[in-house]
Amino acid sequence: MTSNKKRRWPLWAVAALIIFHIFVFAGTGLAIFGGSAKVPDTFDDSDSLPVIYPDYADVTVPVNIAPLHFHIDHDGAATDFVTHFGAGSEEWTFGGEAVCPGSKAWEAMKQAALTADGCIQVQVYAKRSGTWLRYRCFGITVSTDSIDPYISYRLISPSYVTYEDLTINQRCLENFDESLIYGNMINSDEANGQCINCHHSQYGNPDRIQFHVRQYRGGTVIAYDGKVRKVNLKTDSTLSAGVYPAWHPTQPWIVYSTNLTGQSFHTRDVQKIEVQDTKSNLIFYDIETNTVTPVTRDSTELDCFPHWSPDGRYVYYVSAHWERLDTTALDYELITHYKQLHYNLYRMAFDASTRTFGPRELLYDAASRNRSVTLPRISPDGRWLMFTEGKFGVFHIWHNDADLYMMDLTKAQPMAEGPHPVLYDADHLPAGLLPETANNVEREAAADSLREALGAQHPLPESIYPIAELNSADVESYHSWSHDGKWVVFSSRRTDGNFTRPFIAHHDGNGHFSRPFELPQQEPEYHRHFLRSYNIPEFMLGPVTIRPQEFAATIKDEATNATLSMP
Amino acid sequence: MKATTHSEVTIHSLIGRAGGEPIWWLAVIAIITAAGITLISLETEFLLRAQELNLWLPTGVYWKTLMQYPGGGVSWLGTYLTQYFYYPWLGVGILCTLWLAICGMMAYVFRLRGVKLLLTLLVPAALLACLTQTGYWIFYQKLQGHLFVPTVGVTIAMLVLVAQRLMDSIMRGNMAVCTRAAWIAIVCIGGYPLCGAWALAATGMLALYDMGTALRRDTNASGRAALSSRSEAMLLAVTAALLIAAVPQVYYQQVFEMTQRNLVYVAAMPSFRYGQDSYATYRLPYYAIIAAFTITLAVTFWPKRLALRMKPAVQAVLTGLLLVCAAVGVKSAWYRDINFTKELAMNRAIEELDWERVLRIARDGSSTVKPTRQMVLYKNLALFRMGRAGDEMFTYPEGAMQQNVPWRVHMTQVGGKLIYYHYGKENFCYRWCMEDGVEFGWKAETLKFMARTSLLNKEWVVAKKYLDLLAKTTFHRRWAARYAALLRTPEAFDLPALEASVQAGKPLMNDDAMKEFAPIMHLMTYPDRLDGDNTLVEMYLLQTFARGNGDDPLFQEMTLICALYMKDIPLFWPRFMKYASMHPDIHMPRHYQEAAYLYGHLEDKVDISHMPFDQSVRDSYERFMRFNTQCGPMTEEQKAVAFYPQFGDTFYYFYFLVRNQKTN
Repeated sequence: MTSNKKRRWPLWAVAALIIFHIFVFAGTGLAIFGGSAKVPDTFDDSDSLPVIYPDYADVTVPVNIAPLHFHIDHDGAATDFVTHFGAGSEEWTFGGEAVCPGSKAWEAMKQAALTADGCIQVQVYAKRSGTWLRYRCFGITVSTDSIDPYISYRLISPSYVTYEDLTINQRCLENFDESLIYGNMINSDEANGQCINCHHSQYGNPDRIQFHVRQYRGGTVIAYDGKVRKVNLKTDSTLSAGVYPAWHPTQPWIVYSTNLTGQSFHTRDVQKIEVQDTKSNLIFYDIETNTVTPVTRDSTELDCFPHWSPDGRYVYYVSAHWERLDTTALDYELITHYKQLHYNLYRMAFDASTRTFGPRELLYDAASRNRSVTLPRISPDGRWLMFTEGKFGVFHIWHNDADLYMMDLTKAQPMAEGPHPVLYDADHLPAGLLPETANNVEREAAADSLREALGAQHPLPESIYPIAELNSADVESYHSWSHDGKWVVFSSRRTDGNFTRPFIAHHDGNGHFSRPFELPQQEPEYHRHFLRSYNIPEFMLGPVTIRPQEFAATIKDEATNATLSMP
Repeated sequence: MKATTHSEVTIHSLIGRAGGEPIWWLAVIAIITAAGITLISLETEFLLRAQELNLWLPTGVYWKTLMQYPGGGVSWLGTYLTQYFYYPWLGVGILCTLWLAICGMMAYVFRLRGVKLLLTLLVPAALLACLTQTGYWIFYQKLQGHLFVPTVGVTIAMLVLVAQRLMDSIMRGNMAVCTRAAWIAIVCIGGYPLCGAWALAATGMLALYDMGTALRRDTNASGRAALSSRSEAMLLAVTAALLIAAVPQVYYQQVFEMTQRNLVYVAAMPSFRYGQDSYATYRLPYYAIIAAFTITLAVTFWPKRLALRMKPAVQAVLTGLLLVCAAVGVKSAWYRDINFTKELAMNRAIEELDWERVLRIARDGSSTVKPTRQMVLYKNLALFRMGRAGDEMFTYPEGAMQQNVPWRVHMTQVGGKLIYYHYGKENFCYRWCMEDGVEFGWKAETLKFMARTSLLNKEWVVAKKYLDLLAKTTFHRRWAARYAALLRTPEAFDLPALEASVQAGKPLMNDDAMKEFAPIMHLMTYPDRLDGDNTLVEMYLLQTFARGNGDDPLFQEMTLICALYMKDIPLFWPRFMKYASMHPDIHMPRHYQEAAYLYGHLEDKVDISHMPFDQSVRDSYERFMRFNTQCGPMTEEQKAVAFYPQFGDTFYYFYFLVRNQKTN
C-alpha cells in the first residue's frame, strides 16, 4: 500500500541541506583558489626549479600588470601541490596545480614587494609518493615602471590561405579583460571572405588607429579622433594599396609600403611557409588631404617595413636588392632563389616643411653578412633601434632562426653601399667546389655553406648586438616599445614553434632587458589550448572606444579613393 | 486550496496526462527504435566519421570560442553529444532517447492522446531527415555539432513549453499572464545567446501556445472572459513578436561582434552555402520541423466549435497518411551514395592500417558506379603499402566519378589529408588540416593528423600540444596516450636509428607504430623545396614523385609508379632502370614489365631485346595489338568497352584507353 500523503521535508532539514551545500561549494572554491592550503611541515628539498607554465621564474613585471597565474607541470606522480608566495613580511599560500592568486592577493603581493626589496618569492611544494618536495625558490621582481595599459594584436590561426574568424583585439594588461576592436566575421560570409591585417596606432594613441580590410569590402580603415573612414590607397601609379604602415609621431601622415606578396609552401622544412614580395615600394599618405605620394619606385629594390624616428626626421625601412636573372616569371624566380633575398637597413631624411624625403642611407649591410633585417622599431628616446634578423627573406615569423637585435643609434653611422654580394645557389657554384656528380641536395647544402662562410667574413657592426635576454631557439619577430621605452612586447614562437605568443620584457634604458614573461592569462593553460597566434602585438595607451559595429558600418560603405600626388 | 492542488504535480501525473493508450506509446517507441536501428545499420561509417569530424573539449577556451556567436550553447551541447557516435549505438541511442523525450513532451504540452500520439513522430522524422541528408556536408558544415543541434534545439524548445504548461497549471489570473510574459522574455532574451534561432523559435511557439490555449478556452467561455483571454494572448503574441524582432538586433549591437546583421535570425542554424552558391533544398527538413509543429498546434488548438466531425477511423487514416508522407520525405532526403559510403569505409580502413580491407572495398562489385579519384588513390595507397602496386594497380576499376553533390568536392577537404599523410607529404597534410581548422572548425581528425605530422617532422612540443588537446576529449584520449608514448623515444623518428634498432632486435617503436610510421619515413626522403598543390592532391603527388629522384627503395618505387601513372615515357625509363638495379633479385612486377615492353615497342629508343619479359606479358601485348587491329574503325569509347573484358587489367589498356581522369 502506498500512501497518497505527500512527504514534506521539515524546515530544519531544508535549512541543513542549504547550509551543507554552501559549505560544499565554499570548500570547493577554497580548494580551487587555494585559500585553505598550508605549507607542509616536513619536506625534502630539491635543487631544481619547479616546471611551471608560463615560465615566470625570475622575471620582472610592471607594477600594474595582471596577476601571473601559472600551472605546475608534473609527470602525474605528484598528487598535491602547495605554492607559497612571500613579499616583505607578508605571505600567501595556495593549493593545487593551477596557481591563481587572483587580483586582490596579487595587488597585495605587489605592494608588499614594493615596500620591501621589490621581489615576490615563490616556493612550490609537490607531494610525491606521500612525501612533500620543496623546489628551489624563484623570484618575481616588481618594477615601479608601469606599463602601457593596453596591447592590441590580431588573433589568427597560423594558417596559409584561409582566414575565417580573424579578429583584432585589445587586452588590458592590468587585468584579464580582452575585447574586440574588429572581427572579420561581422562583415563576411561564405561567398565573400574578408581578411583584416596591419593594425597600427599613432604611437599608442587609441583614438588614432588604422587597419586594412582586404578582398570583400576592402580598404584601409582609419579612425582619427573619433571619425572613422575607409579609403582606397591604391592608385594607378602605385603597386598596391597600403600594406605595412608607419604613423608619423605627431602628424596625420602615414608611410606605407606597397607590396605584391605571394606565399609558397615548404615540402619538408618545418618552417612550412615562405612569404615573399615580388615588388615593394614606399608611399606617403596624408590623411587630411587624402593624397598618396610615391616615395620609392625602384623596381630592383624591395622596400618594406617603414618606421618613423620618434622626432619625425627620418623614416627607417628595410630593402632588398634584386635584379632579374632573366630566367622565368619573377615570382617563380624569387621562389627558387628565396634564400638569396636579403634585406638591409636604410633610412631617409624627411623634410616636414616640404614633405619630401632625402636619398637613402645604408645603416646596416646585412646582405653582406648573408643575413636579412626586418621590422626596425626605435625606442621613444631615439637611441635604440630594435629589429628582427634572420638568414633570409622578409617574413621572419615563419623563420625559426629569426632573433631580435638592437642597434645603438648613437654609434651607428650611414655607410657607403658596396657591391651587391654574389648570389650563389645550387645552380651557380664556383667551379671546382663540388664534383660533377653532386646531386641537388649536395649542391643546395654547398650553396648554403658557401653563403654562410662568405657572410661570416663580415663581422657584426659594433653598434649592433643580438638581444640575448629576449631571444630563444625559435622565432622572435614583431616588437613594440612602450610609450616611455621601459617595456617591449614582442612575438615569439618559443613555446611550441608554431603558435605565436606575446612576451613582455623590461628595458633598463641602456640596451639591456629583463627575462621576458608571457602575456598573463586568467586560465594558466589558456595558451596551451588556444589554437590561434598573436600577430603584431602593439602597446596602446588606452582602449579603442569605437565599437566593432561602428567599424562594420563604415566598412560596408564604399571606400573613398585617395588621390595621387607625384613628388 | 486550489493552488495546493495544482502544485501537486508529479512525474506520474505528467505521464498520466501525456499518456493515452499504452499501445500508441508502444508504437511511438517502436517506430523510433526502428529508425535508430536503420540509422545504425545504414550509416555506421557516416556516424563514425561524424564523431571524428567533431571536437568537444572541456576547456574554457572551447566554450568561449563557441559563445562568440549566438547559439553557442546548443552548438556546445551538439558537439558534446556528437562525440558519442564514437560508439554508433550509443550516439544513436542518445538521439532516439531525445526524440522519444520530444514526443513525450509534445504529447504532454499539446495533450495528444490515442492515435494523435503518432503525430508527435512527425518532428523526429524531420530531425532524422536533417541528419541523414548530410552526406558530404559533413566536411563542409561550419555549424559545430550540426548533427545534434536540431534535436537539441527542438528539445530545448519543448522543455520551454513544458515549463509553460506546468506554470499554467499552477498560476491563475493576472499572475499567470505576468508569468507568461516574463517567461517569454526570459526565453527570448536569456535563451538567444545560448540557443540562437532555436530560442527565437521557442519564443514563437510559446506565443502560439498561449494563443491556442486562449482559443480553446474561448470554446468554453463567452463574452468578457473570452475577450479578456483573447486580448491577453494577443498581447503576449505581440510581445513575443517584438522580442523576436528586437532581441537579436540588440544582441548584435551590444554583445555579438562577430555575427553578420543579416544572419542574426538564423544563428545556430546550419548554413547550406558553399562558395558562391546556396543549396536551399537542404533546408526542407527544417521547414518540415516547422510544418510538423504547425500540424500539431492546429490539431490541438483548432476550436472545437469549428472542428470537423471526424470519426476515429478517419483520424487514424489521416494520421497514417501524414506518417507515410513523413516516411517518404525521410527516404527521399536520406543521402545514399555508394561511393560516399565506400570512401568513408576505405578511409576508416586506412586509419586502421587494414590495407586488405581497403582493397576488398575497392574490389566490391555490388555497384557498377565508377569510383571517385579519391577511391582510386586510396586503393593505390593500399597496394603500395602492401608492395603489390606493380602487379595489381591496373587490375582494379579506374574512374573519375565526381562526388554526388551539386558542388565541386575538393579532395584536400575530404580525404586528401589522409593521402598526403601516408605519402610522406607531411607539410601539405598539416597545411590542409590548418586550412580546414580555420574554415570549418577544429576536429578530432585534424588534430590527430597534426599531431602525427608534427611527430614525423620532429616538432615534439607542438605534437604534444595537439595530443594534450585530444587527451582532454572523452573518447580520443586513448588514441592520444598511444601516440604520446612515442614522445618518449624521439630518436625513433630518425629512420636510420629506427632501422638500426630493428636490426639490433630492440625496436624503438612497437609494431603498430612501426607499421604506420616507417613506410611514411621512407617516403619523406626528399629534399625541401618551395611548392604548392593548387588543391589538386593527385596531380601534385604524381608530379612531385614522378620527378623525384631518391635512393630509398620505397621512395624510388613510388617515383616509378607515378611515372607510369602519368604515362610519361622519358620519366619512366630511368626510374625503371634504377628500380631494376635496386631489386636485382626479385621478379619484375607485371605492370612495370608491361610498360617497358609497350614503350620499347612504341618508341624504339631503348633496347628491350635483352630484357627478360614474362611470356604472359609478351602474349597479352600481342593479343592487345591484334585485337586493336580487328577493332580498327571503332571509336575510343567503343574500344574502351570492347577491350575491357580481356585487357582491362593491363597497363596497355590504361595507357591507350583510360583518359581524361579528371581529378579533384
